[in-house]
Amino acid sequence: MDGVPVLSLVVFTPIIGVLLLLVVPGTNHRAIRWMALLAALTSLVFSLLLLGYDAGGSEFQFREDLPWIEAFGMRYTLGVDGLSMVLVLLTTVLSVVSIFYSWEPIQKRVKEYYIALLVLMTGMLGVFVALDLFLFYVFWEISLFPMYVIIGVWGGPRRIYATVKFVIYTLVGSLLMLVAILAVAIAHAASGQPFTFGYEALRGFAYADTLQAFAFVAFFLAFAIKVPMWPFHTWLPDAHVEAPTAGSIILAGVMLKLGGYGFLRFSLPLLPDAAVSFAPIIIGLALVAIIYGGLVAMVQPDLKKLVAFSSVSHMGFVMLGAFVFNEQGLQGAIYQMISHGVTTGALFLLVGIIYEQTHDRLIAHIGGLNTRVPRYAAMFGLFTFASIGLPGLSGFIGEFLVVLGAFRYNGFVAAGAMIVVIISAVYMLWMFQRVFFTVPSDWMRRFWPALRDINRNEWIALAPLIVLVVALGVYPAPVLEVIAAPVDRIMEAVNGAGLTGFGPLW
Amino acid sequence: MDMLDDLITLLPELILVALVLTIITVDLFLSRADKWLLTPLTVAGLVLAGAACVVVWDVNETVYAGFYVVDDLSVFFKAATILIGIISVLFAPSYLLVRRIPLGEFHMILVTALLGMFVLASSSDMITLFLGLELMTMPSYLLTGLHKTDRYSNEGGLKYFLLGSFASAIMLFGISWLYGITGSTNIAEIGAALEGRMSGALLVAIGFLLVGGTFKIAAVPFHYWTPDAYQGAPTPITGFLSVGPKLGAFALLIRVFAEALAPLRADWLGIFLVLTVLTMTIGNVVALVQVNVKRMLAYSSIAHTGYIMAGLAAYANAPNDETAAQGIESVLFYVLGYAVMNIAAFAVVGMLQRDTRRFGGLNSFAGLASRSPGRAAAMGILMLSLTGIPPTVGFFAKLYVLLAAVDAGLAWLAVILVLNAAMAAFYYLRVVVYMYMRDPEADPAPIDTSPFGSVALGLSVAGVIILGLFPGAVLALVEVSAASLF
Repeated sequence: MDGVPVLSLVVFTPIIGVLLLLVVPGTNHRAIRWMALLAALTSLVFSLLLLGYDAGGSEFQFREDLPWIEAFGMRYTLGVDGLSMVLVLLTTVLSVVSIFYSWEPIQKRVKEYYIALLVLMTGMLGVFVALDLFLFYVFWEISLFPMYVIIGVWGGPRRIYATVKFVIYTLVGSLLMLVAILAVAIAHAASGQPFTFGYEALRGFAYADTLQAFAFVAFFLAFAIKVPMWPFHTWLPDAHVEAPTAGSIILAGVMLKLGGYGFLRFSLPLLPDAAVSFAPIIIGLALVAIIYGGLVAMVQPDLKKLVAFSSVSHMGFVMLGAFVFNEQGLQGAIYQMISHGVTTGALFLLVGIIYEQTHDRLIAHIGGLNTRVPRYAAMFGLFTFASIGLPGLSGFIGEFLVVLGAFRYNGFVAAGAMIVVIISAVYMLWMFQRVFFTVPSDWMRRFWPALRDINRNEWIALAPLIVLVVALGVYPAPVLEVIAAPVDRIMEAVNGAGLTGFGPLW
Repeated sequence: MDMLDDLITLLPELILVALVLTIITVDLFLSRADKWLLTPLTVAGLVLAGAACVVVWDVNETVYAGFYVVDDLSVFFKAATILIGIISVLFAPSYLLVRRIPLGEFHMILVTALLGMFVLASSSDMITLFLGLELMTMPSYLLTGLHKTDRYSNEGGLKYFLLGSFASAIMLFGISWLYGITGSTNIAEIGAALEGRMSGALLVAIGFLLVGGTFKIAAVPFHYWTPDAYQGAPTPITGFLSVGPKLGAFALLIRVFAEALAPLRADWLGIFLVLTVLTMTIGNVVALVQVNVKRMLAYSSIAHTGYIMAGLAAYANAPNDETAAQGIESVLFYVLGYAVMNIAAFAVVGMLQRDTRRFGGLNSFAGLASRSPGRAAAMGILMLSLTGIPPTVGFFAKLYVLLAAVDAGLAWLAVILVLNAAMAAFYYLRVVVYMYMRDPEADPAPIDTSPFGSVALGLSVAGVIILGLFPGAVLALVEVSAASLF
């Protein structure tokens, strides 16, 4: 397989799909859907080749390195380590799922919709595999605008407000990050090294303390808004509520991970001193996010909003794990990202199924679904439990590892995080009870005769997620194995952090 | 023999002069129905002048007793000028024809303005510089008021003329002070004479030159003429005005501030930084509240002026020549990229004004994606490029300025710049919202589909994307051009 640009194929196959879609007449919906699905599936198949990643081998594998804009030292450098690999797979799987799920629900401007989804896929995949900071930034921005269009065109009633808020929030963060990237590259070049944006070259360089502090804050804003961390989360509920189902799946499943990935890939190894110094603050914010997200989720009347706020809480776990700087914490953070992608993606998909039929998501309106659509109820239950963190399902491993890591950091922090495991059980189970076990409301009864259970297409879309949520819960070893090396490298970077004259800042 | 050599270095200018005369002559013999022939004629002439630019590339000579310089910097500006000319000429005719604005005059005046920009870019003496400036701005006043039956066009033209002449006078006064202090009008000699000097009188000279210069680029607080002039002018001409004279004015700023006043750059930097921040911020804030796309683009062009000024500020603050060159390079790249995307954006507004009672309001963009997918997509890409989103030339231009600013130790300016860019995203994306996320008006106005315009739009958008993905070739040109200053 040597010499085959696997990563380029993974990343750019969707774009080839887009080019093909451009020549298909817009009225031929069937051809458009198949074409889009085929492009995404091909990308998925290519991404499966990454399973050949050798966990004991060199750090970045499947490397590709070509000159791009030589005047500025920008290169087209791609490569994956264990961390990128699992996230690439998550992205390709969830993209295929959302393209497949959109088969029925999307009936207007079908061509544009699939073009946006495929461009989005390329952007997200590119972020995970770019090893040149500039290239990373370009993909980061490319992934932003398709989502803007998806929410803005195919979204709910307040879609324009939601999508503009989403874009402006994200753009502020990412533009500041661009300045930080430039500052880091320039500082690196100022020491006499060649001017480069290459990740491996920039990493491990001793940047001045003030530069680290400012650059860290800029990176932090970009990533924290994406994660989203409290108090930068306010765009998320709006975006989720207004987004079409597939948009929500991608948004929660992959886009939030872009932020988490950014922290693990860039903030910590590039700016370890600043990371260590800022860690207490970030851990504090993460704790607030975990508890606040849980409490707010409890009182949400809208199903989608509830899942959205539970995301804030769960992504807080990711941040907590990332910044306690020990093996369990970091592994847990990565695991939690994958698990959250699968479970929340599935939950949004399931919410979408009921929404398509009733055009309502108010928990108070729905009720008693258990008797009418038992298979749907069973699946919803499965992912509810996965989200709570029931042992044997994927959510448990991540949360458990993070709490373990937090314990090694500080008992009180761990205790705070533990409380929320209870809170999450409260809001999820309470929601489940109201939606599935109560007496159906009068409002709901109007839909009763037409209400249908999960259909064949939806089963196909759900199937990979069901397999993953169980497999990841029962047998986490393969994933933990491939992410072990990246975790070690991050630990090495932050433990070697000198804190010269910087520690007393706090 | 010398005389002939000198003439060859002036080949692009000579071709433009010939083109002006040809247009006037040919116009006389064309019947009304055949006037459109002037457009291909002008484009052909401009292409020829562009080819001549290739001939004088790398000549690097000062001719006519030090009054005129043909260095790579000037050739770059000339090439960019020709590009601007070609795009503007292609976009304008159908808009003008509907409004019965004579095409012959338009082409002739436009090419004359281009000639002024040529002279400006090549001036190595304050006298030539002023001549070039006037040769550029006089036709610009005329172009603004070209729609003589429209009172907004008249108002814009008159305002532009009155304030512009005033600024020119101030500029001239500054030049005379500089002459009084240094005893020379030659730019290189002024630069040499000013080495290590500073005095109250010099400060006065700098002040006058700065006011004159920033007026011409429409920087805050000397920008008040811009919105009215831009809104009043026929839309495709607004596109030209927002980049053409601006490019000329930046050539002027570079010649005056980065060449004549280069030794004093630490002294003019402070006030220049203040103007830079004010320009980008106020331009954006006011653009936010505009509901007319044409006016919004007018204000946003002020913001872009601010971004370009940041490149010049980076030049002035640079610790060494290499970084200083980067500042100038970023200005050149930005001006070029901005020219392409902004003319095209105004042109799309113009295309939606096929109905002469339309003035480019946001509503005329409603649902454009379903009415004219190609134009909507083009406008969408242009808006993203103006916002500065990869992979477009607008992004790369901003990146270049940011890089120069951070490198020159102006990281705080870079931060202000990106916050401004995020603010700008709001109003640029509003156009996208209208095009893609709203339904068309009940009674949508017709859209202009002239072949020239479509070709130019296609080329511009392709240029915006290709330059964004592979800017390497232009970067190399820009680097060589900026090097002629150092």
